[in-house]
Order: sequence, then structure tokens, then C-alpha cells
Amino acid sequence: MAQSGKTVNGFRFLPPGLTAWIQTLIPDEFAGDIPWKRLTKPLGESTVALVTSAGISLKSDPPFDMEREKQEPTWGDPTFRAIPRETTSPDIDVNHLHINTSYILKDINVMLPLARMVELEQEGMIGRLAPTAFSFYGFQWESTDFIDQAIAPMAETMKAEAVDAALLTPA
Amino acid sequence: MGLAARFLENTGISTVVLTPTHDFHRSVGIPRSAAIEYPYGRPLGAVDDQEGQRQVLLAALSMFETARQPGEIRHLPFAWPEEPKATHWHPPEMSPLIKLYLDDIKRAAKKKKQ
Repeated sequence: MAQSGKTVNGFRFLPPGLTAWIQTLIPDEFAGDIPWKRLTKPLGESTVALVTSAGISLKSDPPFDMEREKQEPTWGDPTFRAIPRETTSPDIDVNHLHINTSYILKDINVMLPLARMVELEQEGMIGRLAPTAFSFYGFQWESTDFIDQAIAPMAETMKAEAVDAALLTPA
Repeated sequence: MGLAARFLENTGISTVVLTPTHDFHRSVGIPRSAAIEYPYGRPLGAVDDQEGQRQVLLAALSMFETARQPGEIRHLPFAWPEEPKATHWHPPEMSPLIKLYLDDIKRAAKKKKQ
């Protein structure tokens, strides 16, 4: 159901206590520069990659490390996994200690919409879905190690695959 | 995810973040946010709802061509059909971080009520 003029409540699904706490951690406004790469060709001619932070991995790859986080609650696995574009739900494992992962296991497209993107590619709405999608693990608390260990190598692959745009879906 | 978007923009890749909590933009400065009021872990929509997922995806992708300024947040018009408690998005066990900060969370909740 769509509601025109809707203002999204970013805390609607959180309990009030958790909302109050998170709001103490977020400043009133962002002060600083924001990087901006304009798309230089129509979306219908662009190569688009998908990236999620939901802790999705192929069953054939090592899973994200949840055991260390259980021992060290402010540590989050800083690595990433490549997810080929033809991946479907039976191919994946999902590890994330902050969400219910069962819905992604049933239908990967609720988080990483590979099948929907292939449909849009076939219709010419996007130029091409990149061969490789990616998952990293979104809970990083105050560490930025994941930038070097996950995001930088993901970007290298994207460049090699001539990616113009990336849709990012946090869990 | 905001830091990842910033990194990619700096390497020449345009980004849109489809986010259930657009407020995090104020922490890191996200180039383009498509705000969706859907439960965590299902930003595209419900399991097997192909048409619903497609509509959210098209709305998010449209920002690549229509967003005009850095930091733009577009509020998507979609509404989840269930009340929050019925969505069961929480993990089966309280996360380690929440356990660690439970006293702080309770204090913040109490302060807000006052």
C-alpha cells in the first residue's frame, strides 16, 4: 500500500527504550561534506551492483563470525563475501545477531533483490545487473576496519566489472 | 552502510542506500537515502511479494537519476501492512550489544518518559 506525502518514521519498528537510546547517539544534523558521484548515463544503460550488510554468505563460503561477537559485543566481523548474481535462496547462509534472518533465508530478494534486478535488466529498466553482488556485516559499532577489509576490495571488483551505480541495502 | 556509500562515491560509483532508519544520515552524511518504513531485514518487502519488491526497488533506483543534492533523503510512500510487534523482525536472542548497554538503554527510556 502506498501513501503519498508519507514521512517515514525511522524508528517505527524499534521498542521505545531502544529508540530513545539510539537517538542519544545521533546528532541533530550532519555537518561536513558529502561525496557525490552523479550518474553520467541513463539508468537503462548503466551497470548496477547490489550490496547488503545483512551477513549473507554462500553455503560454500565460510560464514560471518558470530561467535567472536558473542564474546566481544562491540566487535563485528569486518570481512565480506561475493554473491554471484545467479544466487538464489537455497544457496545462502545468513548470520546476523541483530535481526531475524529467517525471512532472508526464505526469499533472498527481501534483502538482496537479485531476481527483481534481473527482471528489470530484461525489461531494459537498468542496463545490466553486475555479475557480482556483495554482502558484508553491518554491525561495526565504532570500528572502521571493514572499510579496508570489505568495502575497498568490493570497490575494486566493481570497478573491474564496470559498475556505474550501487544499491545498498542495510539490514 | 553510510560509510560504505561514501567510500564508493569517492571511487566514482553512484550510490543509493535503501534504509529503514534514514536518521543515520545525520551521523555519517549519506549521499542518497531512500527511506522505507519497513521492518529491519526486509527493506524490499515481504517474502515472495514479487510485485511489492519490484515497486520498492523501482522507487529506490529512481533516485540515481532524480536526486539533486548530496544528502538527499526521499521518503518512499510504502506502508507495511502489519503492526510493528507482529513483524517479528527481532533476533531470537537479545543481541550482545543490547545486553552490554541494557542499563544505558533503560536510563534513556526513563529520561525520555520524564
